[in-house]
Amino acid sequence: MPSQPHIEVENLEVLYGTVLAVRGVSFNVLPGEQLTLLGPSGCGKTTTLRAVAGLEQPAAGEIRIGGQPVFSSGRKVNMPAEKRGLSMVFQSYAIWPHMTVFENVAYGLRVRRTPTGEIAEKVHRALDMVQMRQFADRRASQLSGGQQQRVALARAFVFQPSVLLFDEPLSNLDAKLRADMRIELRELQHRLGITSLYVTHDLEEALAMSDRIVVMRDGLVEQTGTPDEIYSLPRSAFVADFIGSANLIRGRARPDLASGDLVALETADGQVIYGATYGRPAAADLTFSVRTVHLQISPQRPPGEKNVWPVRVEKTVFQGDFSQVHVAWGIQRLIARCAAMEPIPPGREVFMTVEPRRVVLLGD
Amino acid sequence: MTAAAASGAGPVSAQKIAGYGIAAVAAVLVLYPVFYLFQAAFDTGDPQVRPPTAYGFDNFGNLFQYPQILLNTLTVSFAATAMALVIGFIMAWTLARTNVPGRRIFEQMMTVPYYLTPLLGALAWSMLGSPESGFINQAWRALGASGHIIDINTPYGIAWVMALFEGSVAFVMIAAVMKSMDPSLEEASQIMGASRLRTMLRITLPLVIPGVLGAAIFVFAEMLGSFAVALVLGTPNRYYVITTAIYQLIQQYPPRIQVSAAMGVSLFAVMFVMLFIYRRIVAGGSYVTITGKAFRPRVADVKGLRWVLFGVCVLYLLASVFLPVATLLYASVQKIAVAFPALDNFTLNNFRAAMAMNAARSALGNSLILGFSTATIGIVLMGLLAWLIYRSRLPGAGLIEYVVMFPQAVPRLVFAFGMMWAWLVFPIPIYGTLWLLLIAYLTVFLPLGVRTIAGVMLQIDKSLEECAQMCGASWAFRTRTITVPLLIPGLIAAWLLLFIASVRELGASILLMGPHSKVITPSIVESWFGTASELTATLALIQTLVVAAAVIVMVLVTRRLAAEPLN
Amino acid sequence: MGDLKRGTITRRGLLQAGTAMAVVPLAGLAAPSVLAQGVSKSPTKVLDFMTNADVAKAEQEGQLVFYCHENEAGTAGIMEGFRKDFPKIQTSYVRAQTGALYSKILAERSAGRFDVDVLQLSDLAPAFDFQKKGGYEHYVSPESPAYKAENLSNPVGYFFWTGVDPAGIAYNTDKISAADAPKGWKDLLNPAWKGKISCKISASGLQFVQWYELRKLYGDGFWKEFAKLQPHAFDSRVQLFDRLAKGDDMLTSVGEYPAYILFKSRGAKVQFVAPPDGLVATPLVVGAVNKAPHPEAAKLFVDWAMSKRGQAWYQTNPNLYYGSVRTDAPPMPTGVKLSEFKLLYPSDWDEYAAQSPTFLKEWNGMLGL
Repeated sequence: MPSQPHIEVENLEVLYGTVLAVRGVSFNVLPGEQLTLLGPSGCGKTTTLRAVAGLEQPAAGEIRIGGQPVFSSGRKVNMPAEKRGLSMVFQSYAIWPHMTVFENVAYGLRVRRTPTGEIAEKVHRALDMVQMRQFADRRASQLSGGQQQRVALARAFVFQPSVLLFDEPLSNLDAKLRADMRIELRELQHRLGITSLYVTHDLEEALAMSDRIVVMRDGLVEQTGTPDEIYSLPRSAFVADFIGSANLIRGRARPDLASGDLVALETADGQVIYGATYGRPAAADLTFSVRTVHLQISPQRPPGEKNVWPVRVEKTVFQGDFSQVHVAWGIQRLIARCAAMEPIPPGREVFMTVEPRRVVLLGD
Repeated sequence: MTAAAASGAGPVSAQKIAGYGIAAVAAVLVLYPVFYLFQAAFDTGDPQVRPPTAYGFDNFGNLFQYPQILLNTLTVSFAATAMALVIGFIMAWTLARTNVPGRRIFEQMMTVPYYLTPLLGALAWSMLGSPESGFINQAWRALGASGHIIDINTPYGIAWVMALFEGSVAFVMIAAVMKSMDPSLEEASQIMGASRLRTMLRITLPLVIPGVLGAAIFVFAEMLGSFAVALVLGTPNRYYVITTAIYQLIQQYPPRIQVSAAMGVSLFAVMFVMLFIYRRIVAGGSYVTITGKAFRPRVADVKGLRWVLFGVCVLYLLASVFLPVATLLYASVQKIAVAFPALDNFTLNNFRAAMAMNAARSALGNSLILGFSTATIGIVLMGLLAWLIYRSRLPGAGLIEYVVMFPQAVPRLVFAFGMMWAWLVFPIPIYGTLWLLLIAYLTVFLPLGVRTIAGVMLQIDKSLEECAQMCGASWAFRTRTITVPLLIPGLIAAWLLLFIASVRELGASILLMGPHSKVITPSIVESWFGTASELTATLALIQTLVVAAAVIVMVLVTRRLAAEPLN
Repeated sequence: MGDLKRGTITRRGLLQAGTAMAVVPLAGLAAPSVLAQGVSKSPTKVLDFMTNADVAKAEQEGQLVFYCHENEAGTAGIMEGFRKDFPKIQTSYVRAQTGALYSKILAERSAGRFDVDVLQLSDLAPAFDFQKKGGYEHYVSPESPAYKAENLSNPVGYFFWTGVDPAGIAYNTDKISAADAPKGWKDLLNPAWKGKISCKISASGLQFVQWYELRKLYGDGFWKEFAKLQPHAFDSRVQLFDRLAKGDDMLTSVGEYPAYILFKSRGAKVQFVAPPDGLVATPLVVGAVNKAPHPEAAKLFVDWAMSKRGQAWYQTNPNLYYGSVRTDAPPMPTGVKLSEFKLLYPSDWDEYAAQSPTFLKEWNGMLGL
């Protein structure tokens, strides 16, 4: 059932100094959903988030929360951040060092003049949810990074905002903690049913936590979609390469070999590879994207007609759970990700194959 | 930066009122006297008649009748700057980059000469280095030599004392540059096989030089406006620099207001240009790798040199702290101060006389009251200004920064000159009262206070305040609950700084004192010119002790304040 | 800033003023109170002197603001004497050398500030000027008869000579032997004194008198020769003698007798020389100021200063040691009577005042400003 979007961003433009950091970005966030803005540093994702928060003033565009415009260049609306009813978790946690944990969390309630008894109840409940109850009276400056993060979280949702904004909240944690917190955050968000707008540059995080992802580059939106869509069906070379490791293969279209949804291209040195269009237009020159994990390496020739080639192994890079096998495919080098195996010595001739459905035609 | 975010829902908000209100106050404080200064400088009519009847550049033309004074000013300033840089560099390098023992203590003590005041330094060194009566020279003659070994009343003597007591800012700036250098830059050089000396010359020095250059320009500008030392050491020998010349010309009969104003404006113009250049160098080129983090610079093990450097540090402290204080003490207990007094030359009369001097008692009391008021009102005023300029993002805030930093370019004496006129004609009778001095201090300390508080303010992560905003707090609420509590340690430091600065102030106070508003440092100067030097030494000592005691009390009180967590 | 030119007093002006005042006593014989402003009363006795001031009111006013040319210790000393006799009146003072002091009070008055009760100057020229400007309060003290007419203002009641400050030459006996010591003014011009001799700054009344008198005696060339010695100039006699005592200067051309007595008593190795041509001297003049904030206290002070009591204080206080010109004054503490000194001071104060710009130019030029 389509529901009214909770956050709507239309043609947003934001200046950073004299340069446009956000050059016309549009997206919606549905109620209760987590939408992640993903992209490399400098792509404008944080600026966009801060514009939604009200901490940056856009140059043009419109932002609506729950249907209400909080910023509109056309209608000359600019609601100050403190009145938008949003909440935010900062990258640096922004824990106030001169207050206790309790006071940090209680701040938003105090601003709203909640009666004291109610404050205590709500704060304790919030701290329970993040398992920080026993630290309530501790000076905030004495906490570790992970602990501060939890307090920041509790503080953000204690006053039951309808929207939570996250500015790379996990990037300052070490890898193990990050992985754990990801899951916790996701569960919390589901439990509270809060609409979340999340910013990160970490691919794994975005894929694991989001309902939908907006991939951004240079102030513009590259692609919007569910994690699976973004992963499996990247629209551009940028997205393909950014979201997981991809091999890009360019070549001339071979319409004589096309059939149904499949098209074929021939590389400059004569290799032929079949891929799926997924409804995208096929031009004279095509680019395919193949995920490294979908290229299969085997010592013997696998059965099948299409997409089977003999290749030579250049090197194998051991990565623990998997290995990267670099192979020479004609004049191009491709990378295949294989499950943990005995390293194949360089120079060995092996066979490589990939399902045509896994070879994705890129949009541009 | 992006434009103001949420700077107020409507046309009038608490933020805007506070911001523009405080900007107006600052503008009036600074610009009102400057106007009068310029008016006097360009007044070519009859000096007795006000308002001026004619305007022109004649007064500036008349400046060329005093080429010697201009030359003197440049000589002394250059020499003092050079000496201050050398001392500053050696001390900074020694304390930041070598393993000389007692580093921490030395670093703390480097600022003591500033607190002792150049006046005290000049008085003491006058007693040490006068060709005839100086203790050092007396000792020299006692060893059998004739004549004198040092003459402190020469330009280089003056520059020496200036460098000792006004030059610690050079140390602070160069030390900051040294501390902000990434040690890995030098490590890279050494790993590649360069010797320590080569590293120093090819890596360290080039990186440090721009910062040192900036310090040089800043220090030079300060030396141009120096007053106390030239007054005590130069005037008796007819050696005038611009500031002391202005002072003499005003004291003359009839006072030569117009040419003094022209001198003041000229000096201000030069200082302004220098400071402008300085800001360009500092803001424009970040040749020095200041990455925002404070590095722990690599401390070199200099082995045997350690003790030599230790000696150098001790020597510096001797010359700038212990020797002067000891000299004053020594002089204060004698009837007629000599290096080798006979037993009957000792007396406590000077202390009795000093304590009995009404002027001294009331001056000291006034100074403490004034110090307290200036510091307290100052941190509110300057705190708001620092917020306005560096955090508020209200339009026009950048302009206010120029207004606030303006007094830096004007020697205190010259500023007070303008103030004398400005507040004399002011309808409310504050002329000759402590109120006038309060206003004067608040004005001339604007750069100091704003810069100190801004420094602390900028260290507070913006996100702490933004988070409060996101929790729904209005500007007033979050300023009260977040910004101010976080600022408190910085505010306390600023308070102490302002307190000390106002008690030691001379240039402005000496012109603006009235019969009921005597303050201590100019009183000491008056004593120097009007009473026996032993009595002056006594007064200077008493002042130092009282101020030191007041500061210790403040530090103890505020330490307790800062330690309590806010709930 | 008001009129600062010293030479604005003309003979005609004085003559006119004098004539005008001469008429009044005749016309006002029936009402002698015309001479004393304010309430007409007959003088009352307080302590051991006569006063026309309302003592009770003065004590009610409770304050006295004194502007004086003396050095710090001297001014404080004067105030101390007054306070001892009238403890209910709190004193405060501003001191500056006469020139600077006069500029200050004129500047303040021109801006509408009237904060001063009594003014003491070390030069008659500004006193005349101030009288002409109506700066002094016209108050005739009942102690006036004890003074000769030449030691009072003309007409009486503006200011009076509270003392005379005579100066000769003084030198440091360690630095200069008795044989080499100067005996008269002309001996000052010895090139051996170059860079080692001190004098006073141009704002000093005494220095002006000395310049005027010695120029008259020895011609224009005297001071030009003196300038070649590159003397060090200072504000107060205490400074001059301080340096002399410590040997920073070998001798001083303005060796004030009171300072000499003071320093000698402290054991300083200084010697005083009274040149045979005479000692230069300047009168020290005191007067109550117009529109004073504490008028009764001002008048009381004037009476006190004029009285035997006050004069005794002025004469015996070690920081003052003035020579009193009161006709019944006792000898100075050293036993010498003022009249025993040959004193040089201008006979024609008019002409003297007119020379002021010339003096200032030459003197300031000599000192490098």
